[in-house]
Parts: sequence; C-alpha cells; structure tokens
Amino acid sequence: MSRWSSAFALVLAALALAFPFMVNAYWLSVGVLAMFYAIVAASWALLAGYAGQFSFGHMAFVSLGAYTSGLLVMTFGVPIPLGMAAGVLMCAIVGSGIGFVCLRMRGPYLALFTVAFSEVLRIVIVSENEVTGGSGGLEVTPLFHGATDMPYHYLGLALLGGSLAIMQLLVTSRWGLFFRAIRENEDAAAAAGVKVVRFRILAFAITSSFAGLAGGFYGHYIGILTPDIGSVDQMGLVVAMAVIGGAESIIAAMIGALGLEFLVESLRSYGQWRLVLFGALLLLTMRFARNGLLALAWQWLAQLNFTSLARGRGRRALRGG
Amino acid sequence: MTDYLLIQAFNGLVIGIIYAVIAAGLTVIFSILKIVNFAHGEVYMMGGYFAYFAIALAGVPPLPAVLVAMALSFALSVLVERTLLTPLYSPTTERKGDYGILVTFGISIFLRALALIIYGPYPLRPPSFWPGVAVVGGLVMAWDRVFAGGAGIAMLIGLVWFMNRTSWGEALNAVSQSRESAAIVGINDQRFYMLAFGLGGALAGGAGALVGPIYSLSPSMGLLPDTQAFAIVILGGMGSVAGSILAGLMIGVLESMFVALFPDPSRSLTYAQAFSLLVLMLVLLIRPTGLFGRAHVAME
Amino acid sequence: MSDNKIVTPTRRAVLAGTAAALPLLGRSARAADPISIGWVGPLSPPGGYAEGTNMKNAAEIAAAEINAQGGILGRQVEITYADTRGMPAEGRTSAERLIQQNKAVAVFGEFHSPVALAEMEVYHKYGIPFMACDVWSDQITAKGYPEVFRNAPALSLIDVTIGQWIVAAGFKNIAIIAEKNDVGLAARTLVAQELTKANVKFTAVDADPNLTDFTAQILRFKSTSPPYDFFLQLYSEAGAYPMIRQAHDLGFAPTANCGIYNSGGEAVDPTFWENVGEAGKYLVTENVGLPKAGWNDKTKAFVAAYQKKHNADPSGAVMESYDGAWLLFDAIKRAGGTESKGIIHALETTSYVGARGKYTFSTSKEPAWHYHQFLEAPLSILQYHEVKQGQADAPIVWPKQFATVPYVYKRPGT
Repeated sequence: MSRWSSAFALVLAALALAFPFMVNAYWLSVGVLAMFYAIVAASWALLAGYAGQFSFGHMAFVSLGAYTSGLLVMTFGVPIPLGMAAGVLMCAIVGSGIGFVCLRMRGPYLALFTVAFSEVLRIVIVSENEVTGGSGGLEVTPLFHGATDMPYHYLGLALLGGSLAIMQLLVTSRWGLFFRAIRENEDAAAAAGVKVVRFRILAFAITSSFAGLAGGFYGHYIGILTPDIGSVDQMGLVVAMAVIGGAESIIAAMIGALGLEFLVESLRSYGQWRLVLFGALLLLTMRFARNGLLALAWQWLAQLNFTSLARGRGRRALRGG
Repeated sequence: MTDYLLIQAFNGLVIGIIYAVIAAGLTVIFSILKIVNFAHGEVYMMGGYFAYFAIALAGVPPLPAVLVAMALSFALSVLVERTLLTPLYSPTTERKGDYGILVTFGISIFLRALALIIYGPYPLRPPSFWPGVAVVGGLVMAWDRVFAGGAGIAMLIGLVWFMNRTSWGEALNAVSQSRESAAIVGINDQRFYMLAFGLGGALAGGAGALVGPIYSLSPSMGLLPDTQAFAIVILGGMGSVAGSILAGLMIGVLESMFVALFPDPSRSLTYAQAFSLLVLMLVLLIRPTGLFGRAHVAME
Repeated sequence: MSDNKIVTPTRRAVLAGTAAALPLLGRSARAADPISIGWVGPLSPPGGYAEGTNMKNAAEIAAAEINAQGGILGRQVEITYADTRGMPAEGRTSAERLIQQNKAVAVFGEFHSPVALAEMEVYHKYGIPFMACDVWSDQITAKGYPEVFRNAPALSLIDVTIGQWIVAAGFKNIAIIAEKNDVGLAARTLVAQELTKANVKFTAVDADPNLTDFTAQILRFKSTSPPYDFFLQLYSEAGAYPMIRQAHDLGFAPTANCGIYNSGGEAVDPTFWENVGEAGKYLVTENVGLPKAGWNDKTKAFVAAYQKKHNADPSGAVMESYDGAWLLFDAIKRAGGTESKGIIHALETTSYVGARGKYTFSTSKEPAWHYHQFLEAPLSILQYHEVKQGQADAPIVWPKQFATVPYVYKRPGT
C-alpha cells in the first residue's frame, strides 16, 4: 500500500477508536448498526461482486445466525459467545448446502432461488412462533448490560476489523484469483483447472459465516429479534449499500455501508422521502457509476492530482493488491 | 367432498388467471431483454392506482379505466426502459444480468417509497366492475372475480394473438430467440426492447387494475405477486408465454388446494405463502428449464 | 506519490472528519427553548403505516392546541415525529435519537408491541417517561419499568371482554382467523381461555399478516360440519378488509346463522366503509374510545377538530394518541418542570380528563401488567346496523352499562 493510503487508514483507525468520545449516545448507536451493516455488505460484496455469485439470500444467513444464537442462549442458557459461534457454524453448514444445490444455477436463477430461500426461512420463523417467537419477536439477552453502547462499539470494531482482515487475506490469495476467474467466465475457469465446484461452495460457506456472525452480534445488541431481519427489503438495503459503495471491492462496500447508514439516519427529518432518495441514489449509481461511488471518487481524486500513477496504485489498493 | 374441492379448484383457477397475466408480462420482458424484472410487482401496483385515479378524478368508468391503466403502465415502463435500461444493449456493459437485477431492484424500492408518499398509506378501493355475487349451483363467486378472470383471459388471448399473428409480435419472437440473427435480418433492436418492456408492464398494470376491487390497493401490494410471478415463470419455463399461462393456472389451483386440504389449521395460511416459493426452489433444483422453457437461455 | 499535492488525502480526511463531526457534537439548551417531546410510530412499511399516520395526525392537533394556549410553563411544545416502521431496530435508534439529538423530555405513541418493547429499553436506560399508546401486549406494562405508562387497554382487558361477549351472545361454535404476530396470537389465547371456560367450541387458524386472499380458508370453514355460528377475526392488517368482503361474498358471514367480528381497529378506521361496502353491515367490533353517550366536552371538541382537518372520524387509537400527548402536557405542568423523575411522579398521580374519560394509572403490581396501566380504559363492543354507519353512531351491545340497545347481538334479517 502506498504511503498516503496507509496514513489515511491510520487516521480512520484513530477516528474509529476515539469515536465514542466524539459523539453522543445516539450517533454511537448508529455507528454500531453501521458496523453491523458493514460486515454484511462487505461479505455480500465478496460473494456477489467478487466471486460473482449473485445471491439475494444473504440476509437469511444474518437471520439464521441471530436466531440460532438467540434460541440457544434463551432456551438452553448457552453463554453468548458460544451461541454466536454456533450461529456462525450453522450458517457455514447451511451456506455450503445452498452453494451446493445452486451449483448449476447462474445469474437470475441463482438470485431467484436465494430470494425464495430467504422468504421461506422468514415464513418458517413466522409460522413456528412457538419456538421462535414469530412476528412478536424473540427477546434475547444482550451481550453487555449497562448504560452505554461503548462496549458494543469496540466489539463491533473488532469484529469488523477481523472480518475485513480475513476477507482481504482471502482476496489477495490464490483463492481470490480463483473467485475472480469464476466470476468472469466459469467455463473458462473450469477449463483452466480451477475447481469451480469447491470454490463456489466455499464462497457461500465463508460469506454466510460472516453474515451469521453479524447476525449474532445484531441480535445480542438490539435485544429483540424479529423475522423482518431476513426480509427482502433488508436485503435490498444491503445490496444498495454495497453497490453504491462499490460492489467489487470489499473495502468500498464496507465504506458504502458505513456512509449510507449515517446518511440515511441524518435524513430522518425528511421522513418518507428518505427511502425515495435512497432508491434514487441506487438507481443513479447503477446507471452512471457502475463500479460504485467510491471508485468514482477515487477517479476524481486521481484526476485532481494529475498523476496516472495514483490512479493505478489507488485502484489496486482498493481491490486489495 | 368433491363439490367442495371443485369449488376450491375453480376459485384457484380464477386467481391463477391473474397470476398468468402477471407472469406472462414477466416472461415477455425476460424473453427479449433477458433480465428478471424485480420491479414487476410495482408496475402491477401502479396499474391498480392508475385505474383508481382514472375513475376517481377523471370519471372514467371501471372497464375503460383498466385500459387507461394499461396504457399508463405501458408509458411508465417505456420511461423506465429508456432512462435506466439502455446500458443493457451496450457492449461496454459488463455482466448485464447483474445490472438488470440491481437496477430493477432499485426501481422497486424507489417506486414503492414514492407510491407511499403520493398515494398515502390508506387502503383504497376502486368501485366494483359489477357489484354482487354470482351463484351457480353450489358455487358462489363475487362478480368482480368473474370479471377479472374473464378480462384476464381476454388479455392472454390478446397477447398470444399479438405474439403469433402480428408482424410486431413475430419480430419480438425473433429477437427473443436470437438478438444477433434478428439484427442481421434488419429488425431494429431498440424499438423492440421498448415494446417488450412496455408490453410486459401493460400486462402487469392491467392485472393490478383488475384486482383493485377484489383486494384493495396499497403501496406494498406488489411484493407478494412479485415472488409468485417469479415462481410461475420458472415453473413454466423462462421465455415461454404458453408455459407461464399454464403454470399460472396450476399455481393458482394448487395454492387453493393447499389451503383447502392442509391438515394443520394453525399453519395452513402462513405456509400457503411459501407454497409458490417452494415450487420455485424445487423446479430450479430438478428441472431448471421448467415445463416449456428453452434450454439455451443465456444472458449476454 | 509524494510531491505535487494541494490537499493531501490525509489532510482531506482530517478536514472531512471534523466537518462531519461538528453537527454530532450537539447544541446546548437555551432558556426559553421549546419543550421537546418525541412521538414514535409506523409511518412506512413494513409497519402499519395507515394507523400510524392517523395517530400522528392526532398528536399534531394536540400540539397545535397546547401552543395556541401559550404552551406549558411559558414554553412552546415541539413534537418530533419518528418513523419506527414496525421494526424494533428502528424503534431503538429512533428512541436514542429523540433523547440524544432532540433532547426529548418524554415520548409517546407506538403501534407495534415488539417495537415498543425494544424502545422501552432505551427509555429505561435514560429514565425518560414513555406513554405507550396503541400497543396491547401485556408485556409492555408487565415488565415493570417505572418510566413506562400505557393509556390503551392491555390484551388481557380486551380479549377477555370479547370472549365474555361471545359467550353472552350465545354462540356455540366459533371459527377464528388470527394474525400470526404477538397481538393476534395472544388475543387468540385469551379469547380461547374464556371460550373454553364456557364450553364453547372453536377452531383457530393463524394467518400471515401479509395475506389478502382468504377465500380457500373461508370455503373450508363454510363446508365444515357442524356449521360455525360465528366468525371471529383477530386481524388488523390491510388484509382484514378483503377478508370481510370475502366472508360476505361467499355467504359465510354475516348471515342469519353466522355472525362476524373483527378485532384490531380496522373496522373503526375511516377507510372501513370504502373498502368493505355492504359486507360491513352487522359486523361487530370493539371501540377503545368512549361510547358516544359518554362523550365529554373534550371528546366532542377533538372529534370536531379531527373531522374538520382530516374529514374522518377519529378511532379509539387516534384518541389514545391525542390523549397521550395531553397526558404528558398535563404531567409536565403539574411537575413544574421537565425533569424526568418529576414527570414520572406526576404521571403516577394523574387525574386528567381527556377525550377518553378520566385517566388514572395503577401502581399495583398484582398482576404485573396492572403497573402503570390505565385500568378503566374504555372498551365497548358495537355492531354496525347500516352501511356507512359511523363508529360513534353504531349501537353498542356490550358491556351492559354502556349498551344503547337491549340485545347483545342482532341477527341479520331480524
């Protein structure tokens, strides 16, 4: 990474650590939610943007992770970290399953299948309300008790940082190369010797695990789970965040999520226009800045600095090497 | 018992006709533009509201209001196509399939939020096409449903006639089979994409106008039909209008029978919603081309 | 990349960061600042945005009224409306925002119990008083948070009443469709208890809140032997209207042999008649407002004001929101300030007469849901006799002390 982008990263890190002391409790809580969305958006970008598996079922795994952890903790008294780990494991298994059954599906078929899966899971949660609490919600023990969200902030930061590190490692490794090859042209990749089957399943298993982790964190933060976490609307929100940030880059998707969550919160005074603006932003980005706003910003930055060198290094830095 | 099942089946058939109209529109769009239109349910919703306001503000009688709704839905769809979908035809756009999904998804969010602001939150109900109930033997059905079924059949017949008997329709068919070959023969692409998207939207809007008196209108009414339409299109086979029609009828009847026969009353009405989704998943797993789909449906 | 830079990214980042942080640092309160109160409720999907909007309208009227009178303690009242969309996470964030950003000294409203439950944790954390308006789950008050009050009836009040009415009306075999959320299911359980006590048979079906087509299920009910003599809908979503029409069109209910009841508020909503037409005649429903005979001056004034502004009759839920605002105004005035503990204490000693009668809040914890609950919440059961009949004009059939007609239920055709 170039010198100034690592300086940039350091400043961000410092801001992130000092954040709870800079803002009031409301914005702190927004920050925790933003980090939740960042993990979800980044992992979705890894699956859909990077590995080319356009899944709309990502929120189902958030929901699955949250409910698995919640139910284990509330019904069997399992300690929360163990519950969350179980949630992650459950998502890894189910994610692999989905990856496996979807092997022969591409593009819109995959999207439709995963959307259906997500909705079916939501309906099951609503229907089996004796177990899950249904639409009335499942109250779960929060991770921390106390008047402030600060511990959540730091935990969220740790989870986000850790997830990002693992995802970046993945992306800069040979595995990342295989994912991209599969995305560009699956048949050619197979012909070139890439074990498509294994990597497609792996892509689902890994990204679903992150979603499940985020879900567990979310559940034990908000304290009450409802089936809407896995709704298509929530999926749309995450998709928008990743796309507006830049769906092909994990970091861009993460920044997109953080930025959009804060933006959407600040637009609260606009009431219902909030969602209209949001949808419009997504449409404009798709139409005119397909690679996401961050890539666009990077280009402007680069042009301002009049150095093609910056453009080259910058884009490589975004893509992670 | 057979009487009861027959009544349920007939009821499901009428609902299935509406499903078929929506699904047929989706299929037309998919055949020619090669994208799955996630905003289809929202055009259906807008069609319902167009009809309502045509009646309430312009005094248009209910039946012509359906036609007005279809025309306005056509216009809305063309507008969307021209502003947002043109990158689909450009060779520089990568992964067109993903683009189509994302853009139509964005449109659905946008339209739904906009509808909430413009139309307000209260459920609106346009006046009946024909008030009262039809009674034939043991079968009881609201005239509105009978009318919707009949009008739906008319729309489907119109669509099939258009696709097979007019030069425009045949050109659409040609484009759907192979864009390149159609271009070679001189069929100008862009106008046909407009036509296809507009036609699909008109069908969805028409369906929305027909069900307004039956289900009442609300800005989020397009969500459920959206997923059902996908299931039907997949079952019938993407790219086959005949398949969508048949699949629509099947799903309509099967859903009714599901509720009629499912033993556990505490779950029948919640899992009924999952029915079409499970069908979709099963078909994709076992026989992705559906009943009549063409095997070579590709994206670029 | 080192040399030619006008603004380095690092500097840019610091500038951007500071600029972004400024609005977050909050403002200090000045002396004659308005009193900030928060309102929460669903204004967009997936929440029940129609009712939420109605309740917001009522709050706006209350705010305008108090300010026209000169405000409270010489300060104007400013209500900030937060859209909680029916989602607990939104509720929680909204609660934080209202308290931290808008410096709300009290909050009222809400329509969805799980959302209120999530918000309550925030109110409890800061000790900010909360007047829960149209949330019926027993848990809201049963949790025992001193900050939380409720001016709406609890499920335990409503559904026991419904059950008792069904028994008194002499029905013997009930078909129930309940919406599959906490309200619908709890309602179903409570009604079932009453019915079981009186040996009345029933079949309960749970329905997804998003459905609009119940034809198959209604047909199934219709073809069951022995036949049902009453159709109870514990369903308050938009699908309630098609359900009522479908039951009517299919000849299931209301008929001379089978009555129909809708619980949840849809049947007293202004859009009821437009959506159900003929099918609404003879339908039975509950009203959480005062019966018309018992309207006091406040009720009449509010009904007139709401009619004038929104061209519709305010339902009981709407009155709850209006009274909720005024209960807070009254408490703040009596407390002489906006300090939380003062307001809470004032609320506990409330003796205010609002559009729904005289309010007092219990301090008993036996049973748990009695705590800070308005126990005398008005609740009457009415039956429509004419198409397009206003809910305030419909005959009241239960409880006996409010009844305006001698019978408990009128069969269609008699």
